[in-house]
Amino acid sequence: MHISIIIFTEINKILTMLKKILYFYILLLFVVACKSGDQGRDTGLAIPDSVLNEGLEISQDVMQNIVQNISSPVEMAALIKELGVDFSNRYISTTDRVDNLSTSFQQALNLGIYGADLGYLNMYNKTSSVIDYISAIKTLADAIKVGQFFDFTTLKRLATNSKNLDSLMYISVHSFNQMDQYLHNNNRTNLSALIITGVWIEGLYLGTQVYQSAPNEILAERIGEQKLTLEQLMLILENYTRERQYENLLNELKLIKNIYQGVTISIEKGEPEMIEENGMLTIVQNDKSIIDITPEQLTEIAETTEQVRNRIITL
Amino acid sequence: MTYKKFIAVCTTYIFSACMLIHAQDISQLTAQCAANAGDVMYLKDFVVKLDPGTPGGAPPTARYALLLSKNVVYRFSICTAPNSEGEAVLQLFDMNTMLGSTFVTSTGKDYPYFDFKCQKTGVYHVFISFKEGKAGEGVGIMSYVKKL
Repeated sequence: MHISIIIFTEINKILTMLKKILYFYILLLFVVACKSGDQGRDTGLAIPDSVLNEGLEISQDVMQNIVQNISSPVEMAALIKELGVDFSNRYISTTDRVDNLSTSFQQALNLGIYGADLGYLNMYNKTSSVIDYISAIKTLADAIKVGQFFDFTTLKRLATNSKNLDSLMYISVHSFNQMDQYLHNNNRTNLSALIITGVWIEGLYLGTQVYQSAPNEILAERIGEQKLTLEQLMLILENYTRERQYENLLNELKLIKNIYQGVTISIEKGEPEMIEENGMLTIVQNDKSIIDITPEQLTEIAETTEQVRNRIITL
Repeated sequence: MTYKKFIAVCTTYIFSACMLIHAQDISQLTAQCAANAGDVMYLKDFVVKLDPGTPGGAPPTARYALLLSKNVVYRFSICTAPNSEGEAVLQLFDMNTMLGSTFVTSTGKDYPYFDFKCQKTGVYHVFISFKEGKAGEGVGIMSYVKKL
């Protein structure tokens, strides 16, 4: 009887301790949850991604050195519009292919392609076509489980009124940035790499097609400087070449890289200047890059890019 | 069993609510910061939350690599979250040379943004830290102003 009482008391003690541990655990969860979003950079406490997941991922340290904005869905389109070139439907991909894209590889790559097309349409305020592209992007984003960052209802509402262009542009680009960030945070950097490849190839296709119909020195330089972007993009894709599809994609990009080898970029040194005018601060960089690209190289880049882009959308 | 389920549901609820509230705050701060940048086109945001630095040590800094294009004017803006202890500062670097900052040490003046007339295509770095190495939360925005 005495032994039973002792055992009962001990069990009670253990249960009380377990309860305390449980409360502590709940409190800890609460604190961790409310501190979410803390990137903890430079704290020295970050757990490498490789420890957390053995999938296709790049560590946080390496990520800090990887260019964040390898391809923008709007920069090439903004330049083309500023150059006074008219809009043309010929430069964008059609959305009737969406239902045939069945693998996450195809879906992510084409999500990037349609993202660049959406940027071009938005830039020219082509609201009637925008809805088709928003729908296509939403379908593909849902398919790779990032649809929650694409506010289809708001975008559709904004697209029906041409006065909402600024908001439409902001939400479109911000949605892409959020998708990219989410993929990085969840060790799905391979899909992020495909999206930015899609955005980049479509942007280069747009730039080179426009150049062929309306040659311009600034646009030629922009096409030439893509040599640097392509190098960065290939560095990222090389991380995933253990999968055949990624290797094929990289081989396609190598065709473009081969032509870019003849393009030279040199630097003329200068000191930066800081100018304050009407309370606004402007930094003028006096380093200058000189991009040496011939009309023949431009034609070759345009032709190869067109072939590669058309193959990529069916990869 | 019911008690355990109740605790589990409550924990999940609190966890999700905290995540959602934080995400909404950051999203609003980003949208507001992009709007404050003026009549420019938003390109990229850098959401930063840093712990305080150690006394005498370098302030904790978030670093981002960016590829900037020749013949483009970019705008770099910074906004500090309302609940942030420290004030956010954004600096732009080309290799080891600081090109610009939203806080000019020599004059002690703060700027909500600065424009950068880029004449050299290449990789640059944006550094975001908090004054005096304090803990803080903020967002930096990169926007496209125009072609040069």
